[in-house]
Amino acid sequence: MTIIKLKSKLLDIFPDDIHRSTLVHSNEFYIQVDSRSIAKICSYLNGEMGYALVTLFASDERTLSGKYAIYYGFSDRENGQLIILKTEINPAVMSFQSISAKVHAASSYEREIKDLFGLVPLGHPDAKRLVFHGNWPNGIFPLRKDYDLHHKPHFSKKETKFKKILGEGVFEIPVGPVHAGIIEPGHFRFSLAGEPILNLEAQLYYVHKGIEKMAETMSVERCFYLSERISGDETFTNSFAYCQAIEKIAEVKLPARAEYTRVLFAELERLTSHLGDLAGICLDVAYGFAAFQFRMLRGWSYLMADDLCGMRFLRSVNKPGGIRIDFVAGKEKRLVEQLLKIKNELEDTVDIINRNTMFIDRVENTGILKISIANDLNAVGPAGRASGISHDVRKDFPYAAYDKLNFDSPTYLDGDVNSRMRVRIDECFTAISLMLQVIETMPPKGPVHENLPRLASHQVAFGMTEAPRGENIHWIMSGENNTIFRYKIRTPSFCNWPVLCHAVSGNIVPDFPLINKSFNLSYAGNDL
Amino acid sequence: MLKTVRVRNKMFKVIGKILKYRRLTQDYPRKKLDATLFIGKPVIDQDTCILCGECVRRCPSEAIVMNEEAKKVGFNYDACIFCTLCAEICPVDAITMSSQFELAEKDRTRLRASTLVIEDRNVPDQSYEVISALLKEKAQKVLGRSLAIREVDSGSCNGCDYEINALNNPFNDIERLGIYFVASPRHADMLLVTGTASRNMELALVKTYNATPDPKLVVAVGACACSGGIFRNSYATRDGIDCIVPVDVYIPGCPPRPQAILYGILKALDRI
Repeated sequence: MTIIKLKSKLLDIFPDDIHRSTLVHSNEFYIQVDSRSIAKICSYLNGEMGYALVTLFASDERTLSGKYAIYYGFSDRENGQLIILKTEINPAVMSFQSISAKVHAASSYEREIKDLFGLVPLGHPDAKRLVFHGNWPNGIFPLRKDYDLHHKPHFSKKETKFKKILGEGVFEIPVGPVHAGIIEPGHFRFSLAGEPILNLEAQLYYVHKGIEKMAETMSVERCFYLSERISGDETFTNSFAYCQAIEKIAEVKLPARAEYTRVLFAELERLTSHLGDLAGICLDVAYGFAAFQFRMLRGWSYLMADDLCGMRFLRSVNKPGGIRIDFVAGKEKRLVEQLLKIKNELEDTVDIINRNTMFIDRVENTGILKISIANDLNAVGPAGRASGISHDVRKDFPYAAYDKLNFDSPTYLDGDVNSRMRVRIDECFTAISLMLQVIETMPPKGPVHENLPRLASHQVAFGMTEAPRGENIHWIMSGENNTIFRYKIRTPSFCNWPVLCHAVSGNIVPDFPLINKSFNLSYAGNDL
Repeated sequence: MLKTVRVRNKMFKVIGKILKYRRLTQDYPRKKLDATLFIGKPVIDQDTCILCGECVRRCPSEAIVMNEEAKKVGFNYDACIFCTLCAEICPVDAITMSSQFELAEKDRTRLRASTLVIEDRNVPDQSYEVISALLKEKAQKVLGRSLAIREVDSGSCNGCDYEINALNNPFNDIERLGIYFVASPRHADMLLVTGTASRNMELALVKTYNATPDPKLVVAVGACACSGGIFRNSYATRDGIDCIVPVDVYIPGCPPRPQAILYGILKALDRI
């Protein structure tokens, strides 16, 4: 449905609730609605129209309008447009109507708003703390503009409360935050009866660093380096989303060579990430041979990164306005050779693991994510695509040079570890093919960046990329003097963590590491 | 019949693969790495520098400092995130990115151009301070040849963790040096800590530290763990892990590459 049709339809159904609407950057449709009717409009967009809730955040706009604003971002993926509902909350009220009972994906977002802004979601089914653990004092709301970034609150001695599952023989296993492997911190509370998991509650936010608060008042240049450090192995894709948003606000058009180079780096990052995940899945079922084959391949893709830019994590490659320097020129031949080498080895190794029935036994039917839950909670990326949700930002909201390249986005239906692994294997080949296409078709010479003008103040834009883990959405409102007023980061991990907790129930504890690895979520990207 | 043939085929394929790439492991640190492609620490040519202060103002992690009296610009490598911005924006090209990546130091002041002010440390268990000085010498003797490491992420972006993971890959194979990772701090001789010490990880870090038997070593990996890096001074972070636990070796980098981490670990053991 086009924006014009949608607008008239909404005006027909909700004539009194819609104040005004504006279309920005050709596909971001902002509708200001009455805060009292937000729940019914949201459930209409989500339930009737089938638009997924992809982001929900507040912004302290008291300095602009005297009120807090809450933005509800819905994605019309079929037509590649975003519908953003905006409501304003009077500081005298400090509460808003919760939509979580109707739109289930909203639950974590609303709890996040409650912790960081002190705006209370009325009618939320389970409005317990999300970001702050039990020991954080009450009344600390860092994302309010009058909160001092440097103020470190004193901790009290209260503990976090977990959901209790009662019944004969039911017991709990607490795991973390410091884990046995070399991974990030998070606490998992399993409730079990015998081996099968009845309930898993994940207490995250151990690596909460206050990134969104730090970004506020930062210069556009400096915030770029912060965006690169949201999640280490998604450095490029996060900086890519940040740059997209900034470039939209600045209204600059990038040189074609920069667009193609960005695709090359984004796909290199995806390949590296997926190869690591495949190694992890094999290692978690003690399949050493395959794990080390995949680690070898991952090592080779790091070598490519070193060869291209001297940075294994692709840091300082991007910059708002394009690519820092022409990293690809003169290295095409070596790149193609290396890619073909990885492709051949990968084909061989995949062939070997496919024939290993013991391995397939472990991954098949393990950690099944039902399509209904995946849809309901907006599961994204390989996790969603393994459960039959075929969305891919590269297809739905084509950015950079993706619309000029030929690729498929694989979808599987079983929703188990095997399917998620298959999606990743297919995507490795797709990534290699995309990189080869880029090298072949990119304009041979030309500039790779465009100078940015100073940003107009209080302009908004979304930056969207398909990260290795899935749909990645950043929203920026520019501030005065080329600074950032509000930077909302929603990485794919934020959507997929609640989904993971559903996928493990009914499985046995020893399979948890395997299921967890098949999702491979970033703690840093979730906790910010 | 058909089935056995297939199984054999698979077996031969596996053996074929193993033989195809017999040895990938680099013999670092015995053999130096070819570092020409690496982006290492930034260096400044004081003679060319015009003291304009552009890099000092724009450095994203505030790692560049100007000493007005000595008329010198210097780097605090414990905070540097190796982003190359300073080299890019210097109007007289006085700053260049070197390929030097072995930067670990036992003394944090050696990484710094400006004086170091550490927040008041609040270690609930003072045992280390008292006992460890005496044990230090013994520790290196005991741990020098075989070392068990527990990794703790205290609030990193996961970049450093992936690089530590890479120490186990076929290229680095850290176990060839008698160093291996263990699942519990109770089994560990060394804590390898990444991240800026987020407020939410403070307690876990202290508990992990106390659970590690003496004598023990602590190594801070990456700009965040060394100084807080780009996440310094936020409501949710502490400025580096030495605000919380005593640190034996600091490894700068964002993230430091696996060999730089290996260099730091070996430095802590006095094997380099």
